[in-house]
Amino acid sequence: MTRSALPKLGVYAGLAALSLLAALVLRLPELVLLGAPFALVAAISALQVHASRIDVEVELDRERALEGELLDVCIRFGPGDGAERVDVLLELPPGLEVEEGTNPGTLRLVEGEERLLPLRLRCTRWGAFRVGLIHLRTDDHFGLFRHEAVVDRRQPVKVYPTEEAVRTLLRPGETQVFSGNHVARQKGAGIEFADIRQFVAGDRVRHVNWRATARRGELWVNEQHAERNADVVIFLDVFAEARHGGRSTLDPALRAAASLAARYLRQRDQIGFVSFGGMLNWLLPATGQRQLYRIVDAMLDTQIILSYAWRDLVVVPRRTLPPQALVLALTPLLDDRAASALLDLRARGFDLVVIEISPLAYVVPKPGEVEDIAYRLWRLRRDAVRGRFERAGVPVAVWTDDSSLAVAMEEVGAFRRQARTARV
Amino acid sequence: VAALALLGAVVADSTVGGDRLVAAVASIGVIGLSVTALALVGRWATLLPWGFVGVGGSYAVFLSLRPGGVDARAPAVAAAFFVAAELSFWSIERRSWRSEREVTLRRLALIASAGIGTAIVGGLLLLLTSGRRIGIGQEAAGVAAAVLTLAVVAFLVRRSRDSASA
Repeated sequence: MTRSALPKLGVYAGLAALSLLAALVLRLPELVLLGAPFALVAAISALQVHASRIDVEVELDRERALEGELLDVCIRFGPGDGAERVDVLLELPPGLEVEEGTNPGTLRLVEGEERLLPLRLRCTRWGAFRVGLIHLRTDDHFGLFRHEAVVDRRQPVKVYPTEEAVRTLLRPGETQVFSGNHVARQKGAGIEFADIRQFVAGDRVRHVNWRATARRGELWVNEQHAERNADVVIFLDVFAEARHGGRSTLDPALRAAASLAARYLRQRDQIGFVSFGGMLNWLLPATGQRQLYRIVDAMLDTQIILSYAWRDLVVVPRRTLPPQALVLALTPLLDDRAASALLDLRARGFDLVVIEISPLAYVVPKPGEVEDIAYRLWRLRRDAVRGRFERAGVPVAVWTDDSSLAVAMEEVGAFRRQARTARV
Repeated sequence: VAALALLGAVVADSTVGGDRLVAAVASIGVIGLSVTALALVGRWATLLPWGFVGVGGSYAVFLSLRPGGVDARAPAVAAAFFVAAELSFWSIERRSWRSEREVTLRRLALIASAGIGTAIVGGLLLLLTSGRRIGIGQEAAGVAAAVLTLAVVAFLVRRSRDSASA
């Protein structure tokens, strides 16, 4: 603990000295009485000053929480020396706020007794945090001396983004070889009827189509579409973000990414993750609940890192983007490097879908003629970027602040259905 | 507010109780009170002692102009002065949050008991010393005690101010 004398000590010593000197000079004994309490308090405090031994522990009710949920934290003071006044401050990262309890707070610790200070925190923003840095400050009885200490009892807390409502998922253009929930174009073991063909040796009797057999006088069997899984890669553009107040375009992007990953994993697809920007992060496609945790953990580390270096898909490992994968890009379309990389993906034959996280709600146009022209030019430029994608056959759905991800997904789904019809 | 009220009472007592240079005593006291009020409003800890010096000065002027023996109300004035100083420093502490009720109550009790203790001990001291004739030896001993007290306080303060890690 670091000890320091407060200004009050100097004032008390000064007042005591002044009154005693005045008493001597003016020969007034009453002035001795005036200064005596100050001298006495300063002397007693100086004699008794000592650093209290305070044992502090921080207990969290859980390590994982969802955005918006409450998290109980308990600061436990072990039976120590005791202190008359202890100021306690639990340092909180920006994504956590105190919902119930006092932070900072002042309390009294009784010697030999345990004391609990409960706090209830609200997880206001996703992220990986470490909670438990405690600033302690004790004052003596008359507040002349102070002891300060910083106790590090930090524990990890992961706040996961809340899930966005998604009604239907996009069907990938191509399926993979493993079994899943998507009806494949290929014929094989499945439920969905595909065609009928003549019986060959080895066909199972239960596949015989008796109506066709009766009509044609020879054995015909049903064929089904195989049910396969698909590879889906979630591509997160983290080159730039639009931020206003405590909100940014990265927040809905991450919520959407987490929701989509969870939904696709539930239907046994393999999900990969690429966070493409100043900081590059990727996960090879895999399936299962563990992959969901891996993806969400990777997302929690995602942040916008300003970089002027040109990046293209060369930096992404080949296996991260398997052929015939459906690439779901979540981007605010603020950086040309991300747009170029996505168009490059399309040129390589990937089934690409762009969900634009609209930054317009985060941009407040400044008043003035020139500023207005600049704002309109910026919006025109964004339209031009969107047009480039549409010319390349890439559906772009704009996800605005006042709509849901489900609407954006429906929009993309409709575009893909029409595009297929047009090709036929 | 309580601190200002107590200091105001000290100034009022000095002003009303005296019969010579009342205006001067009142002026010094009012200046001291104003400085204290300013320090409390602006939370300036460095300004606060000058307010106390002003109020204490007005009391000293009142005492020096006063005929007769020792002021019988001196212990009460000393207690009021000390309690006012404690309350003033409490009010300018930079704590934007609320302390626990128990902490506040104990601190109030401590200040009140310190004030009462000052008044009682001061009263006893006055009672013991008022009836005695002071000789040159005793006066010298008093001076030496005062100097020694200051030296001890200065030594303890100096020793304790050195920050240490425990």
